[in-house]
Amino acid sequence: MPGLKKPFEGLRVADFAWVGVGPLVSKYLADHGAEVIRIESMTYPETLRRVGPFVDDTPGVDNSGYYANFNSSKLCMSVDLKHARGPELVKRLIAKCDVVTESFTPGTMARFGLDYASLRQVRPDLVMISMPLYGQTGPWADYMGYGHVLQAAAGINHLTGWPDGPPIGTGVAYTDFLVPHLAATALIAALDYRRRTGVGQYIDFGQMEAAVHGLGTALLDWTVNGHEQMRMGNRDPEAAPHGCYRCRDGRYLVIGCATEKHWEAFKAALGRPEWCDLERMRRRWQRLNEQHEIDRHIQAWLDAVTVDPSRPEEVVEDAPDVPADWRFTTDEVLAHFQKFGVPAGVVQSPEAMRADPQLAHRGHYWFLEHPTMGLRCYDGPAFRLSETPAVLSKAAPLLGEDNEYVYRELIGLAEEEFIELLADGAME
Amino acid sequence: MASSPPIPRPHPAGPLAGYRVLDLADEKGQLCARILGELGADVIKIEPRDGDPTRQNGPFFKGEQSPNMSLFWWAMNAGKRSVTCELRLEPGRELFRKLVTQADFVIETSVPGEMAALGLDYASLKKLNPGLVMVSITNFGQTGPYSRWAATDIVGSAMGGQMYLNGDPERGPLRTTAPQAYAQVNFQGAVGAMTALYARGVNDGLGQQVDVSMQEAMCVAMDNTQPIWDIRRINTSGPGIRRNNAGVLGSRYLFETADGWVAALGVGGLIGPGANAIIDWLAESGEARGLDSADWRARLTALVPLPPDEVAFVEETLAAFCGSRKKEDLVGEAQRRGAGWAPVFSPREVVESKQLAGRDYWVRVHHEDLGESFIYPGAPFKLGQTPWQQRGRAPHAGEHNEQVYGELLGIDSQELRRLKMRMVV
Repeated sequence: MPGLKKPFEGLRVADFAWVGVGPLVSKYLADHGAEVIRIESMTYPETLRRVGPFVDDTPGVDNSGYYANFNSSKLCMSVDLKHARGPELVKRLIAKCDVVTESFTPGTMARFGLDYASLRQVRPDLVMISMPLYGQTGPWADYMGYGHVLQAAAGINHLTGWPDGPPIGTGVAYTDFLVPHLAATALIAALDYRRRTGVGQYIDFGQMEAAVHGLGTALLDWTVNGHEQMRMGNRDPEAAPHGCYRCRDGRYLVIGCATEKHWEAFKAALGRPEWCDLERMRRRWQRLNEQHEIDRHIQAWLDAVTVDPSRPEEVVEDAPDVPADWRFTTDEVLAHFQKFGVPAGVVQSPEAMRADPQLAHRGHYWFLEHPTMGLRCYDGPAFRLSETPAVLSKAAPLLGEDNEYVYRELIGLAEEEFIELLADGAME
Repeated sequence: MASSPPIPRPHPAGPLAGYRVLDLADEKGQLCARILGELGADVIKIEPRDGDPTRQNGPFFKGEQSPNMSLFWWAMNAGKRSVTCELRLEPGRELFRKLVTQADFVIETSVPGEMAALGLDYASLKKLNPGLVMVSITNFGQTGPYSRWAATDIVGSAMGGQMYLNGDPERGPLRTTAPQAYAQVNFQGAVGAMTALYARGVNDGLGQQVDVSMQEAMCVAMDNTQPIWDIRRINTSGPGIRRNNAGVLGSRYLFETADGWVAALGVGGLIGPGANAIIDWLAESGEARGLDSADWRARLTALVPLPPDEVAFVEETLAAFCGSRKKEDLVGEAQRRGAGWAPVFSPREVVESKQLAGRDYWVRVHHEDLGESFIYPGAPFKLGQTPWQQRGRAPHAGEHNEQVYGELLGIDSQELRRLKMRMVV
């Protein structure tokens, strides 16, 4: 809406955080109008700049799609904090910032004189958040790792896998994409408090402590009932039918019926086969004991009604009794279930998601031109503000792209000093 | 009747103290509202007369299936107030509208169109309260071709990509048993709510609607797999106990120990630039199986892929080493040597974790109605100036009717009785 300020317009963020969690926190701020300055090193480039995918399979600090996607709408300065003048220059920048974010091992910022106690001397109303894996204190405070192993310590692995198999985890560095939301919530709440009172503060964020809030009922089930929840494949301790089933074209359909209303819809969608009306299928708690049989029926039904467009003549023997004209592609069978109100979906690959009409309607993916990577796809946020929606204002920054702006205009160096420091390696 | 309910515990020091939240949400938004409460907001759960449907969600306290015994209800609604209010009846809607004039947030999860049918959509409510932030959390978003589709957690996990990335090559896609699409969309709702709140502060008190999609919440949890598709046209899929590096199955990251499992990226670092630290450890224990030779060391630290039989030998060596040791001992020593390992913890082990105990993490919540107290998870973040606080147990349905309707709307007990008789509250 014209005349409205973007949510974080006018806020400046010095972002020392790296890899997943920190950059995703500052991405919320940047995409909603804050001036976020990534503070990076050329000597030890940010991990994600060194991890692919790289355009043309050519590794390069300005060529990583991984880094790019998490750093839309941001600026980047480079500094060597081990250079004699590095910490002082950064401190002068922070005097002009509202927020500092960092995710180093505890003690790292203090070694450079950049801990909260020092920084509030130059910026009394600063809001600073530190977000290492395990927080600033405790026996594991110095432990290293990232989302791939933190998901194990936080209980996610234990609850992911088949009941007779290993605790495989989610296939990705999962907690990196779970805990930034809670860090951002705390940070913005602190900013709103500051807006009203003028008082800044320090936030000690331990990723594990946030992650375990994503375990649903598993913690209370242990502390209250002494029951340890276990991984169950694609089943659910409370819902049936509940699973993931292969269609004839090799894609997978999921069904998750949590209520009796869902079950009624499911029966209607299947054409009310006899097995659905068996007494032992009547109530949810009964069906929870019959999941093996339910899964078998669903799979047989899908084998009978779904078709593989590349092999249309294929016929299933021993097919259940379904109307002869019920032949569906996977997309059609999904639409069929949804027509009846059954919670159903297909397992979408990254490719399928790029073609998903709902995500396209939402404008989820943004396409931004990057100086070295060209036109690339970026994720927008999962929410839309009706009046001041996110705007991904630019592609990810090149390493040190905004040095001149930051050192000259914000820190206030004269041109001569800027060039001297550049030559002396202060920006390495 | 005169004594006021024991919950929620007051929290005037929270950063959101002074704000009020009306919570109409189901599984997709109750945790979002709880978090705002623990930051100091006054959260009022609005329930139908017979109680919120999620009170039927298991598991239950000692297996006792009744509305105040649902551990789901406890976990997601701790520390809120509860009023009953029948939104299907006009007098109920009138009560709700009056509450809206005194609220900062409404959090709701209805199918798009349902609130409009009740005259309670954002367009209607903003006329009553232009500063209102309405957080509308849905399966797929307020508009679009799937906006009215039915979904539970597994549908969000499938349509939002996570199940494709999860699982293993033999058994196919997989969902995490603890519902992650619900967790994600609740947390995203909280960020959206805070962003709109901040925007309100800088835009003369103007509120707005926050349209949150469960599918999209999972979309942004896909690690680097969307850029991998964008740049390399490769679909990354479930790697089981390995890692998936842009479509290529990498080395193992999970190993069985004497007492469970340990997560040790890239064979615990045994293949990679830091391999010598792990080789030394194996060698000192006499379990290196020759990997400590100069030749092996050179090959393990080089950034050149090893042939499959050699990878298998390295993995077997580490598997044997881990198999005879306890996970926390392994992790402690690996960390000492500079390798970022972590134990695979069950819920019990999370609760017993030395780290969380060392951070004084857990809180004990008194359930005076049961005469017992229980351990709940503690602060997800430690704010120095305006701390997080657990606010007490979850409410019974309508436990705060007198308090809320009396204090906020000036409804006396006689009028409340009339509303009860008319089945409004």
